[in-house]
Amino acid sequence: MRQGVYLLFGLAFGFLFAAAGLNQYDVIHQMLLLENFDPFLIMGSAVATALPILWLLERRGWRSPLGGPLELRRWAIERRHLYGGVVFGTGWAITGACPGTLSTTLGAGSLLGLPMVAGVLLGIALRDTIAERTLRTSTAPVRQTADTTPAAQ
Amino acid sequence: MVRQATWLASGGSVLDILSIPVAWYLVGPAMGLTVAGLYAVTNKHLGVSGAYVQAVDWARGRPVESWRLWFLAGTVAGAALVAMLGGSPQFGLGYGRLGELLPLPALVGVLFIGGILIGFGARWAGACTSGHGLTGCSTRSPGSMVAVMTFMVTAVAVTFLLRVITGGDL
Repeated sequence: MRQGVYLLFGLAFGFLFAAAGLNQYDVIHQMLLLENFDPFLIMGSAVATALPILWLLERRGWRSPLGGPLELRRWAIERRHLYGGVVFGTGWAITGACPGTLSTTLGAGSLLGLPMVAGVLLGIALRDTIAERTLRTSTAPVRQTADTTPAAQ
Repeated sequence: MVRQATWLASGGSVLDILSIPVAWYLVGPAMGLTVAGLYAVTNKHLGVSGAYVQAVDWARGRPVESWRLWFLAGTVAGAALVAMLGGSPQFGLGYGRLGELLPLPALVGVLFIGGILIGFGARWAGACTSGHGLTGCSTRSPGSMVAVMTFMVTAVAVTFLLRVITGGDL
């Protein structure tokens, strides 16, 4: 039942994505060349539709039937939004694809979605590995000094 | 059967009752309703890249948010429906202008490397064009807005750079 709901929302999203041609390289490429403004208008009008609805639901203390009280997710500004944005934007420009494109390009029978999916999975795994390594190296010396030199800090 | 396959390969559709692209003023608000509807019904933040994170987590034996994979499966089906009703210009091995410019092995390599950047960057920023761009902006998330501005400006700049590098071919 629940799975069916998520499947249906995914179906609606994928249908709209492909119906607008956002799963095509030429459409995204012309958008990024600032020759076709339709994708910008799609994003803008989508936000202009969803924002007031979510604002109202939040204000009214809406309770979602399947997920309890509505909690809109927000993130404070961090450096990772800039760094990640630059890397993501570069990949987006080169391929004319974003994660939403991958599944909808495959669904539309385009085989070249496959090398991109493989790349995306590898990219995520790489980022996770680096994040875990920096976490370990940034905490490890603290523990070491605490063990060997009690006077430190 | 064979005729249908070649027709599909040339970008045609089985039924041909949907004209692609559908106008932005129909798609945009409907997408907004999808974003708001998913929050209203399930309290979930619509985003696509999260599904790929789940796949990586699953491969590493970590707990998985299964709803994201159902959603992703839905997007595949939705796009397949569009292809049946209105055609698929990139059916098979087509890839628009980039496909005309690069031989297939180079194209596969470029798309794979581009994919790595997409995955790495989306994971780093926490979300992509849907999770930050559509849904994050709709929840008025400050970090999402910064991420969106950053990847938009970067993508436009890199696209123009590619145009210069390729001597205007791309």
